[in-house]
Amino acid sequence: MLKVDGLTVRAGSVELVHDVSFAIGPGERVGLIGESGSGKSLTALSLMGLLPEGVAASGTARLGDRDLVGVPESRIKELRGREMSMVFQEPMTALNPLMRVGAQVAEVMTLHGRARREARARAVELLERVRLSEPAQIARAYPHQLSGGQRQRVMLAIALANEPGLLICDEPTTALDVTVQKQMLELIAEVAPALLFITHDLAVVASVCERVLVMYGGRVVESGPIREVFARPRHRYTEGLLAASKLTPRGTRLPTISGSVPPAGRFPDGCVFRNRCPHATPACETAPELTGDGHAFACWHPAD
Amino acid sequence: MPSHAGTPLIEARGLTRVYHRPRSSLTKPGAAVEALREVSLTVGRGERYGIVGESGSGKSTLLRLLCGLDRPTSGSIRFDGREITGLPERRLRFLRENLQIVFQDPMSSLDPRMRVRDLVAEPLVALGLPVGGRVAELLEAVGLPAEAAERYPHQFSGGQRQRIAIARALAPRPKVLVADEPVSALDVSVRGQILNLLADLVDELGLTLVFVSHDLSVVRHVCETVAVMSAGEIVETGPVDDVWAAPAHPYTRALLAAVPTLEGLL
Repeated sequence: MLKVDGLTVRAGSVELVHDVSFAIGPGERVGLIGESGSGKSLTALSLMGLLPEGVAASGTARLGDRDLVGVPESRIKELRGREMSMVFQEPMTALNPLMRVGAQVAEVMTLHGRARREARARAVELLERVRLSEPAQIARAYPHQLSGGQRQRVMLAIALANEPGLLICDEPTTALDVTVQKQMLELIAEVAPALLFITHDLAVVASVCERVLVMYGGRVVESGPIREVFARPRHRYTEGLLAASKLTPRGTRLPTISGSVPPAGRFPDGCVFRNRCPHATPACETAPELTGDGHAFACWHPAD
Repeated sequence: MPSHAGTPLIEARGLTRVYHRPRSSLTKPGAAVEALREVSLTVGRGERYGIVGESGSGKSTLLRLLCGLDRPTSGSIRFDGREITGLPERRLRFLRENLQIVFQDPMSSLDPRMRVRDLVAEPLVALGLPVGGRVAELLEAVGLPAEAAERYPHQFSGGQRQRIAIARALAPRPKVLVADEPVSALDVSVRGQILNLLADLVDELGLTLVFVSHDLSVVRHVCETVAVMSAGEIVETGPVDDVWAAPAHPYTRALLAAVPTLEGLL
């Protein structure tokens, strides 16, 4: 379905994403986790051809037999919203405040050649499919009249409108309440074709995906089946993230990762994590390769 | 100020706050919204009190009332034995000295054009208290280097900015620290650092902590007592371990069931 090979993203001389490779099969749900500044959103945006001005991607990414990187905008435009689509974190900024939501769902279909009347009717069906009650009424509402959870469902309806082969979700539930988040995650898992799910929340990714890529400093540092990676993390960063995600009983110290994520371009040479890693040695000044079949990691001193 | 050792530090009784929607007709007033309905709570000295709720539950309204930033439509709040509802700002000095707040987003709560030195000293200046060597002392207490004083908020990471916000809140030596979702905007690797710091400071300084969060598992790590809010009311309250182990109200049960956990999945 999607095959990414050696994807690198640069802003001028600063490398933001370095040599990222992965594949997503049909129907597969893959999580991309990492903290802010790890390069996960840039990875997604470069696949969608939505990188900001002055930021450029190289390497290859193919969706089916179509190239996504290094092709002109006119070619990407045909695919975006039809073969692949994306749900963003903030539905309030992603939706047009001046347009009724039904029209916004219909627009993505008319843009790709469907007749207007048919698109309007199908928009209501889609709103029903994302389990919005009274879809005909919702279609006539403006975004500000809906709750955060409802807006995010509208975003999902837009993303699904043209039956894309690949759905990319970037922190789709971070702005939602936990009870609403749960419903949204169940819905995404149910309706998504192949899925690339970006989040910083390890528990969320574990409830939706089968496979996971862990990013730090613009690199994939560990990847594999989620149960294996989370039950037996090998990279010291993954190990630290997992430890920090568990809340220990009151009165005990929480495990932490020392320091904080450096700004772009300030990650150390060699292993990007070595300035925060308790196990770092001079060997880590050389960048470790991502190695391993199935469960892969890039670390000189992996956890057992 | 006299301290009433026997009385609770914060005692709220029957707090109701009604907001009015803007009018949409010339002849009728705007609709009334009860953001808070008959809420009562008691926070003891040295207690770590958690308030949990989702958006629209009324937790922010309750917090604004407890901090003297808004007035209830009815009900009363006593702080250290003194009534604070209805007092004009000039008579709230004892509250401002003794209760300080850390907000969720340090990027919007810290003035980007002020140096850290001035940000941390501002509550002291505003209250007419001596600054002296207090800024350096506070920066050290929150684990920031002394040079931080000369820099601006944007030069720090999210976790460091939250440390600055905590230093600033502690400046006037308050008795109560109110933390409104202090770790919700932080990365998970930094969240532990800030929660550990808060726990240390609360212990060392003997603070009373009011901790607001949407996440019951974070509250369970930090607090002894919890109040669960929904639709403007406290639907359940008690020792957090009891509420966690045996939630009595259906809303609390729904909230607990919705929190994704790693333990349950692996």
